[in-house]
Amino acid sequence: MAAPQIPNLNSLRNAHGAGRGRGRGQGGFSGPSSEEDKTTHDRIVQQTDQDASVSRLSAVEVGYLDDPFAKYFVSGEGQKRFPIINRGTYVRSKAIDNLVNKFLSHDPSQKKQIISLGAGSDTRFFRLMSAHPRANGIGYDRPNLIYHEIDFPENTIQKLLPSAKESDLCRHIAAPWYWSHSTNPTDPNAPADALHAGNYNVHPIDLRTLDPSRAPPRSFEYIEKDLPTLIISECCLCYLAPAASDTVALYFTQHLFPSTTPLGLILYEPIKPNDPFGKVMVSNLAARGIVLQTLRKYGSLEAQAARMKAYGFDGSGGADVNELWHQGVDEKEKERVAGLEMVDEVEEWELLAGHYCVVWGWRGEGWNGSKEMATQFSAGS
Amino acid sequence: MEQPEKLELLRSTESLPRAISELRACKIIPEPQVREICHKARELLIEEANVVQVDAPVTICGDIHGQFHDLMELFRVGGDVPDTNYLFMGDFVDRGFYSLESFLLLLCLKVRYPDRITLIRGNHESRQITTVYGFYDECLRKYGSANVWRYCCEVFDYLALGAIVLGTSSTLEPSFTDQSQAIEPVDDDVEIEIMNSRNEVTARFPRSRRPLFEPEALNSSPPGTPSKTGPSGTGATSDAGGSLQSGGGSVLCVHGGLSPLIDSVDKIRLLDRKQEVPHEGAMCDLLWSDPDEIDGWGLSPRGAGFLFGSDIVKRFNYLNDLSLIARAHQLVMEGFKEMFDSSIVTVWSAPNYCYRCGNVAAILELGEDTSNGGIISRSNGDAERSLQVLPTNDMPRSGPGRRYRVFEAAPQDPRGMPAKKPVADYFLINSPIAISIRTDFRLKDKEKFGGILELEDGEQESTGASEPEEIPVPDIKKGDVFII
Repeated sequence: MAAPQIPNLNSLRNAHGAGRGRGRGQGGFSGPSSEEDKTTHDRIVQQTDQDASVSRLSAVEVGYLDDPFAKYFVSGEGQKRFPIINRGTYVRSKAIDNLVNKFLSHDPSQKKQIISLGAGSDTRFFRLMSAHPRANGIGYDRPNLIYHEIDFPENTIQKLLPSAKESDLCRHIAAPWYWSHSTNPTDPNAPADALHAGNYNVHPIDLRTLDPSRAPPRSFEYIEKDLPTLIISECCLCYLAPAASDTVALYFTQHLFPSTTPLGLILYEPIKPNDPFGKVMVSNLAARGIVLQTLRKYGSLEAQAARMKAYGFDGSGGADVNELWHQGVDEKEKERVAGLEMVDEVEEWELLAGHYCVVWGWRGEGWNGSKEMATQFSAGS
Repeated sequence: MEQPEKLELLRSTESLPRAISELRACKIIPEPQVREICHKARELLIEEANVVQVDAPVTICGDIHGQFHDLMELFRVGGDVPDTNYLFMGDFVDRGFYSLESFLLLLCLKVRYPDRITLIRGNHESRQITTVYGFYDECLRKYGSANVWRYCCEVFDYLALGAIVLGTSSTLEPSFTDQSQAIEPVDDDVEIEIMNSRNEVTARFPRSRRPLFEPEALNSSPPGTPSKTGPSGTGATSDAGGSLQSGGGSVLCVHGGLSPLIDSVDKIRLLDRKQEVPHEGAMCDLLWSDPDEIDGWGLSPRGAGFLFGSDIVKRFNYLNDLSLIARAHQLVMEGFKEMFDSSIVTVWSAPNYCYRCGNVAAILELGEDTSNGGIISRSNGDAERSLQVLPTNDMPRSGPGRRYRVFEAAPQDPRGMPAKKPVADYFLINSPIAISIRTDFRLKDKEKFGGILELEDGEQESTGASEPEEIPVPDIKKGDVFII
């Protein structure tokens, strides 16, 4: 593992007050380290969520993505990202949207479920709920879907603040609503960190606490164990130690859901830590206190495919972001996107995009779309 | 216009050497001085042709992109100015966090040693691109106004579009810095030598014996091509026999590459270059195009310029009496990349580009042809070429002797901690800083290629000129640009 031989810069970062307390799951150092280090490290990684939502807003503002909800989850002023970062945000977002839509469009009358791990300020729930406005202009045809997000309480509080306040957001959340503060239910002033509504559940849970030998968290009662379910991890599991990451995945695939439940998993993660670009990436991120712990173990599309098998999926597909751009975006759309901004960093784009991948696995029925996409990108299937 | 008398200050005092030493220490200099230097540089550059003539020996460098510490490493590896002559092929600014210091240092050196250093324009030396890729923001951050950015942009407009290196040697001279060690003599047959930053030879390649181009490729040469082109450096055409080509032949240096609108070096000379880089046309192509493994011309994925194939390069070189085109513009992981039977080379001089690419950098040294007692012999075009056949010697003319010095990013801080390195962006796990702080600046049109760039009123006079004592300190906010 990378952590022990890399100088620990967290104490230095403390002085700069890094982190705004927005959370995203991550594993502790694999070497011995103090609680304080862990907290700092958590905070640094948690801040990546704010980075992600700023990136998203940047891509939206330039016109890469259509997401009217992105602005509600950026605190302070937005920042413009470089064109390749915008393009990366676009490709990742579209690829995952594509897989999600294929999942939902198969047998639309069948009720389905999505669980987003380390969801942070992701807007997918709101985008799905608003995807089909009614012809009469009043309301939306909501998909037959229950959506779950699991993240640190620090994160879910931030998520729920605008969700409760902004009518643009809360009108997509179906009644009945139960807002609560998980650890302080009696304090009326405590901000809600949990939500259980008709179509939307926000669970304030540190993924690292999931343990098959203990009873599941109470809020998991809202997860329906027999519905076809798609689990999404966008740069979430990669922050956990490999064993912890496997434990979380197996918790869902083998413990929480019976083996008869159709399950899918989508991962978005960096890969290829060992070429020159990858080495610099690892050391740059380490210098910022970010250790992508699964990167070495799951550092290639092949390793990711084996991982899906080990999680008990029947099949899997995968592609790096560069392939997803070249083969996964149709020519007309590519032309539109390429016209949004000058991308002078062509070589750099290929390097950067080659170091991130989307992989997906499935079991049971209803995954024709995922299979199709796996065939399209033969590398990881 | 600035008042010319102000320039006296620059000439008469020690201010230029002092500016150079400040900039060498990576410190910014007062705004009025930037203004003077930019003005002086423009006076020099305005006199330069679109295609500057440069005599060997010279060291050719590719993109720098504001990586100041790596520029210092480049000078350490390649020799300091004015001991070594340099030709920088553009892209001094953007991306790195010391565009100002890097560009102003090069500019000061240009003003101080005009014959020792040549700067040509890259596609990032443009108002439009610098507002997207960082230089504008850097100026605003370091000076509190866009004035310095504006002065620099005015210089950009006067930078030459290309350079032609004459009098190169076909053989390699021994490496210059090695005094302590006995160097093994360089075999005359060595065409390419690669050295690392410790001045050790890592590879040598003998001169290739195979013909460098197929004569058939020239059958379709465009009508109207003069049967005898003049010396590639002068643009003259002549019926005089002229002497034979100097040892290594002429080398055209340009930031990007060729243009379908340009079939001769003379056509570059006819362009009106003193303007913002246009979105299309010959000037744009020279700064934006890339060689590629295609036939003829292709569309560029960059949205400007073109892709051009081996046939285009070989015909262009032949018709213009060039042995090599040196260009930059594209990141190459190994620092340099020769293509198309060594008819074109990409030189990239920004190691670990953007602090995240993990690449090495290179510079290209071309030696001086001393076979005629140091007098440059120039070809006026020989008879064979007009008949479109190869010269009859067994050794077709190949390129000059080329020494590539490959170097890595500047060493980290000696205390063992990572140096003050800017934070590199990655997807999703981006740096908290990125490129904002653009509060008083708006693009009138939506910011995209083709948009019109204008600043809001009131900015021009905002700071500094009357307070020369006050040296602005780079503003390093918490969580900003640096780690540590």
